[in-house]
Amino acid sequence: MNDFFTVTGLTRTFGGVVAIDALDFAQKKGSIFSIIGPNGAGKTTLFNCISGIYRPDSGEICFQGRRIDGLKPDAIARHGIARTFQNLELFFRMTTMENLMLGRHIHMRTNIWHGLTMFHKNSTAAREEAEHREKVEHIIDLLDLQSARDVPVGALPYGRQKLVELGRALALEPSLLLLDEPSAGMTSDERQDLFFWIKDIQQELGVSILMIEHNMQMVMDISDRVLAIDFGKKLVEGTPEEVAAHPEVIKAYLGED
Amino acid sequence: MDMKRHYYEDIQIFQKPVHVFWFVILLIGLVILPLVTRNYTMSLVNFIAINVIVTLGLNLLVGYTGQISLGHAGFVAIGAYATVLLMQHLGLNFFPALVLAGFVAAGFGFLLGLPALRLEGPYLAIATLGFGMAVTQIIGRSTFFGGRMGLKVPKINIAGITLSSDKELYIVIISITVLMAFAMRNLTRSRVGRALIAIRESDIAAETLGVNLAWYKTLSFAVSAFYAGVAGGLLAIIFGYINPSIFDFVMSILFLAMVVVGGAGAILGSILGGIVVTFLDLKLNAVTSMPLIGDLLREISTRWMSVSGLPNFRSVLFGILLILFVVFEPHGLYGIWLRIKKYWKTWPF
Amino acid sequence: MFSQLIINGISSGSLYALVALAMVIIYKASEVPNFAQGEMATLSVFVAWHFVNAQFLPFYQAVAAALLFAFAVGVLFEFTVLRRAEKPSILELIVMTLGLQMFIYGIIGWKWGAEQKTFSLPIAEDSVVQLGPVVIGWLNIITIVTSLLCVLLLYLFFTHTKLGTAMRAVQMNSTAARINGIRVHRIMSLTWGLSAVIGTIAGILFAPVSPLDPQLMWDPLLKGFAAGVLGGMTSPFGAVLGGYILGIIENLFGAYISLEFKSVVAFALIVLVLWFKPSGLFSRHYERKV
Repeated sequence: MNDFFTVTGLTRTFGGVVAIDALDFAQKKGSIFSIIGPNGAGKTTLFNCISGIYRPDSGEICFQGRRIDGLKPDAIARHGIARTFQNLELFFRMTTMENLMLGRHIHMRTNIWHGLTMFHKNSTAAREEAEHREKVEHIIDLLDLQSARDVPVGALPYGRQKLVELGRALALEPSLLLLDEPSAGMTSDERQDLFFWIKDIQQELGVSILMIEHNMQMVMDISDRVLAIDFGKKLVEGTPEEVAAHPEVIKAYLGED
Repeated sequence: MDMKRHYYEDIQIFQKPVHVFWFVILLIGLVILPLVTRNYTMSLVNFIAINVIVTLGLNLLVGYTGQISLGHAGFVAIGAYATVLLMQHLGLNFFPALVLAGFVAAGFGFLLGLPALRLEGPYLAIATLGFGMAVTQIIGRSTFFGGRMGLKVPKINIAGITLSSDKELYIVIISITVLMAFAMRNLTRSRVGRALIAIRESDIAAETLGVNLAWYKTLSFAVSAFYAGVAGGLLAIIFGYINPSIFDFVMSILFLAMVVVGGAGAILGSILGGIVVTFLDLKLNAVTSMPLIGDLLREISTRWMSVSGLPNFRSVLFGILLILFVVFEPHGLYGIWLRIKKYWKTWPF
Repeated sequence: MFSQLIINGISSGSLYALVALAMVIIYKASEVPNFAQGEMATLSVFVAWHFVNAQFLPFYQAVAAALLFAFAVGVLFEFTVLRRAEKPSILELIVMTLGLQMFIYGIIGWKWGAEQKTFSLPIAEDSVVQLGPVVIGWLNIITIVTSLLCVLLLYLFFTHTKLGTAMRAVQMNSTAARINGIRVHRIMSLTWGLSAVIGTIAGILFAPVSPLDPQLMWDPLLKGFAAGVLGGMTSPFGAVLGGYILGIIENLFGAYISLEFKSVVAFALIVLVLWFKPSGLFSRHYERKV
């Protein structure tokens, strides 16, 4: 098929309960791929397997030709996969700038010795710090977060916090970005903006996006391909139109009648 | 928005000129101090400075990384014994011995940090508690370490001059303290420190951003132990004699109290906590000679408690302090300081 | 020789089992190892000693009073301190129990001084029973029987009474318990009280073989921790078993390997267990949900 990002036969159980059941799918480079399904269908578990928080029981996850299943989350990040979380996992007592700087972590080289001896502006650590802060500033501009730049993110409203998390993932300069319900809890205005930003991220930064989303309007408008799952199994996969026409999906989203 | 000329300004050591001003005042004060005080006062200042070093290190672990150690006295003991033994057996000079002792402690910190990777808060607390107790037990039972009787600390000389008075030692100790405080400040505003804080805030998010939890947690333990080790070496020098009973569990708790009272996760907090708690501790040794409070305590002692047990009032007070700070002021003295500052800025509105 | 060591091991293991049990009950309910548990027990033992020594109460009434006192201390701490903290982190909870530990330690020293006292049971302590090749002291028999009795009573309490079931519910999921109309705070207070009582029973059994001073329970507490960790901290059954295992291992180590370092065994065990099976020998692994 293609070798950008493939999941083959992925299975994960929790003490006898099968959360993901022999799931297969493949994503093309540069595309937006959405995953839909009812609550408890195994979507977030899938994300946790991809980003290494859970170790799959069996199956393969391949990214750019290399197997990444079973690796630790930090190793997977270094392969160029970043993610956001359904229930925000921000560094709440750090500012927006500092949160985003964590996204630069894997691109920086400052070690413990450089850190301890960062006495002046021209020390190794300080030079690197300034260089990466400049990069982060661009992301802050892109997402319109200037006013939140030096504010601890715990003090920001929910919608902005979600953006900070998006920005933090972007700062990692990922090839694949996992978004876990990016529009949940946003106002319709915020959702509109988000829609355009996700498009921008795909088209201008060339980042492939794998997204879990409940808002069908957004899924239909934005996705190149859609995968519907239930009970950890694939219901249907295809273009948004194909998936929307599938009887099981109609039943799930529009009700029995 | 204010215009920044360079991104380094975001993180520079002194954010405003006024900070530089206060720092210069502080430095001048530290230089003048030995000229205007008695030798006895200097010995107190030395002791306080050494505790500040331990607190700086422990705060990195507890306040910044969100780990816990109830056995830091163990690292201090390792540093103290290593310094003395390196000087005695290998004939090293004081400074190389001190630095090497720091690394020995850091090595033990690294080893203790390894299981820490797999341990959540409560388990880690128990493991470190056991570590601290095991260190003094092993030292106390081994003749190489002088057993329960302890070791005599050799006189130190630097560049041919034997340091003996507290004022001479002050110069060495305070320079090391200032240097180590700055180094810690540097570390916490660099990539490494940021990763540690991130682990405290959300270890899962930190990991998915590429922070190697195993490495950074052990690193935090090692650096923290290094600070404790160096402090231990200095402690040996000012005590002149070391034995395992100095480095007991209460000492570990006292260090933790310095972090909590001063303010977890702040350099200034470490310094404030180290100063205030040590000062209090020293004052409480002679609590009966204090005006008013001394009389009151003597009265309480004779009526309900016992006079011979009065020195234990120290534990009572520190216990209460720990609880009060956690319940009412989790950010410690540093938090109070921030609030006062904010109040004055907006006064009278 | 060997069976003698095993019996002695079970005897000291009984104490560790009680201490571990007291610890696990609280740990399950509030995810904090109670570092003040040893001091809470020591204080109660001192109270019993005080009553007996002042000839205020005869022995058994004094012990009953001490247990009641322990219960009150546990309830009071939960009520006056733990409940006041706003969403405390585990770190903060630990520091609070440490604060209590220091506080009580100081109070004991202040009230009764540092000089050692003796607290003995009203039995001839050197009287023994000969069972074939094995000699068992009466004190050991009392210790073993009492601790078994405690474990049995607790088991019945947790499985057969309404209060015990409510406590287990709070331990499993306090939010769900609250939704179901259980008064979580009240249950938590009672749990702290119950734990203090169990710890004090261990203290009273331990006091006759140790000088009575403020540090009475330091060693048993560390051993209790080790036993708890061995058993997985979340399993009362595991904690009790961990206590017996630790007692036996410790005695065998002391006899065959090194008497000198006998007391370091507990620590070595903690490290080994945590290293190879961090969740303990008798409990299932727990995964955090994102």
